[in-house]
Amino acid sequence: MSRNKSFASRGGTTAASLGLPAPISGDDMCPVCKTIRYLNKDMEFLINPECYHSMCSNCVNRLFNDGPNQCPYAGCHRTLRRKGFRSPFFGDLTVEREVDIRRRVAAVFNQHEDDFETLRDYNNYLQMVEDLTFGLVSGTEARRRDAEAQLQQWEAEHKIDIERNRKAGREADELSRRRIAAERDAARQRRIEAIKEAEEEKLERVRNREAELDTMADAPEGGAGGGAGAAGAGGQRVELKRRKQTNRAGETGAAAAGSGGGAGAGAGAGGAATTSDVGRLSIRGLKDKRRAPAPEGPYDPFGGMDFVPSRYKLHEGLSHPQIDKYRDRAHNTGGYSFEEYAARAMYEAFAGLAVFIEDEKEVGIGLSAGKVAGISAGMAAVGSDEMEID
Amino acid sequence: MATEDARYRQSSQYRLWSFSPTQLDAKRETTNALARAMISERLLLSSSSSSSLPNSNNPSAATSNANTPDPDGGGPSLPEFLTPAEESLLLTFYTSELLRAGDHAEMSDEMKATAAALFRRFYITNSIMTYPPQEMSIVALFFGCKAEGAFPRITDFMEKFGRERPEEILAGEFLLCQGIRFAIDVKHPFRALRGAVMELRSFGDIDPSRIDNAEFHAREILRFSPLITDAYFHYTPSQIMMAALSLADRGLAERLIQSTFHYVAPPSSGGDTPMANNGDASKEDATKGSESSSTQAAIVGTYIRDKVLGAIEACRDMLSKELPERREHWTSKAVIKSQIQPIRKKLRKCCDPDRSNLVELQRRRREQALRKADSEDEDNPDGDRAEMDAAVFGGDLAQNNNTKRRKVVEDPFGGPL
Repeated sequence: MSRNKSFASRGGTTAASLGLPAPISGDDMCPVCKTIRYLNKDMEFLINPECYHSMCSNCVNRLFNDGPNQCPYAGCHRTLRRKGFRSPFFGDLTVEREVDIRRRVAAVFNQHEDDFETLRDYNNYLQMVEDLTFGLVSGTEARRRDAEAQLQQWEAEHKIDIERNRKAGREADELSRRRIAAERDAARQRRIEAIKEAEEEKLERVRNREAELDTMADAPEGGAGGGAGAAGAGGQRVELKRRKQTNRAGETGAAAAGSGGGAGAGAGAGGAATTSDVGRLSIRGLKDKRRAPAPEGPYDPFGGMDFVPSRYKLHEGLSHPQIDKYRDRAHNTGGYSFEEYAARAMYEAFAGLAVFIEDEKEVGIGLSAGKVAGISAGMAAVGSDEMEID
Repeated sequence: MATEDARYRQSSQYRLWSFSPTQLDAKRETTNALARAMISERLLLSSSSSSSLPNSNNPSAATSNANTPDPDGGGPSLPEFLTPAEESLLLTFYTSELLRAGDHAEMSDEMKATAAALFRRFYITNSIMTYPPQEMSIVALFFGCKAEGAFPRITDFMEKFGRERPEEILAGEFLLCQGIRFAIDVKHPFRALRGAVMELRSFGDIDPSRIDNAEFHAREILRFSPLITDAYFHYTPSQIMMAALSLADRGLAERLIQSTFHYVAPPSSGGDTPMANNGDASKEDATKGSESSSTQAAIVGTYIRDKVLGAIEACRDMLSKELPERREHWTSKAVIKSQIQPIRKKLRKCCDPDRSNLVELQRRRREQALRKADSEDEDNPDGDRAEMDAAVFGGDLAQNNNTKRRKVVEDPFGGPL
């Protein structure tokens, strides 16, 4: 751990640049009590995440053991408690502070990619979180306050969701840890088996060799070739057996890995708990998992267009002298319907009567502004404030 | 909004081919200006490249250039171009010619009307100077037949119009399709007139012979007047029909409009006939709110009615300028000699040297396409296809394709390993 290294260098560089002789580096001197490491070998510097001013552990004990007290640094009026002090992980305290802030923001904004409708939404979300974090880390005072307020509001409003996400994340971690452990276990098992196998094989070979020698010694002159052949066959059998076992072991290993992967995937999907209600700070594109997606209903090929005539009425009496004869089925070809013809003729007679191309193509569909004013004047004369325009 | 109007607004006739008069004039002027620029460029190019052999298409340019060895002398050899007004006069003349040719071929009213409408649509975005109107009118007739579901044999067709080869008609067909932006369906007022007659007859208190008479006259008007004017661009078929009916019998048309717009029934109360008396309806209304809404509807209804009447009146004015009696006007020798002939003479001088011969044009385009297809293997095939598609559909495709390709190239992880 490189703690306290670069904090020292900060003071050191300023001293060096000022040209002071033999500077005592900040690493070695407590800025509060001016004790130097030379006098106290075990000196340890502590910080409090309230203000990130470092001081030695003796000073901390001395100042804060009797309860909360002000930070001893000049101009820093924060009230610190003994409990908040800890030794910094990073030498550079700005980094320490940034990491702390990021950890805090990440604990609040803990959405997964699965929680979003599209990748774009997720990216926008990440961008938003990053902006907020930047505001907290290195924004101006006003910006920092703003970001802080946003963060707290979000946290307050989405406590349940955050908790759920955190739990899901923990579960997923747990699962993956278990999976890794299982894999490691399986690997160790395989290794042990392989060693055992190798030993057995060695033994077998020795036994074979002895048997071979025995047969050679026992057999008459001509049987030696046959014996060697038998021994060769035995060796081959051993080889085969070994290979088979290796195969089997590989299969089980693969199966274990597969099941582990499946469990992991399941956890990933299940861990995607979500938030849907958004307050002032809203995240766009979050999937609404609490509500089932609304049924789309049957497909409408006409895109919601209404075919009920509003200007005319279709009735039996509609007829025309030139096509009256087609009412009679004997005059029709198959599929011809007089009613259809009448409906179409009536539709064409009245369709587009109130489509005023000159106005609509220049001004847009609907009434032009001047005319609306004209109508509303007429409306006012009648004494109504609402109006419906055809 | 009335359901009928909403449905009409879905049609390609409304979406693509309806313009206000100012828009239409602006379109025609830009077309004219574009054609001038293109043709003068081509004329200069052809006269400078082939100054030695006389060009049959523009004899004036060729002769003037043959005498002047200076290649820069192309400037003064440019002919006088047609003005938009002259173009429009010529277009009207050729439309009447087209209708006459349709009569000659004994086509139905719809076929002739479709052909005329397509013909006029084509010459909104293409200049008469660019493509020859005489040829295109025959093409439009042939295509109009097909658009209306009649499929004449091309051999019969060419014999009827005295052409020697079927290519002379077929060459312009695809060109026409492009020019009309593939909006082949034209909505006509003929069937609408029948619908109106059906409605009038169902009133029961009008003398049938009066209706028949009016229908006959209105149909006569519809056969000619809206086709030869710009009515199809400015008015909907039903408005044109009402205007024609009003020209034939003003009383009937007004009766029809009055009864239709007397009370605009809200779409929810489907049982109400549009003809239902407003007084009765408001008496039956018990609650005050619905009564006020019905009076509102009545006010808007009367407003709409007045506006419809205004539109029909304007359409009527337009149609009355070209009543069927004017057929003779467009065929009379005196008119042709005094008005049309000078413009035609001018046209012959200023027509596009590359495009006045449709057969030749098509042959060249085919060759080009073949050459492109041959060389497709060597360079990028997509670019070529996009170019060809862009030529058909009018731009932007190539650009889209390029952006897509660029996107692939700019893959952050580089190309495949």
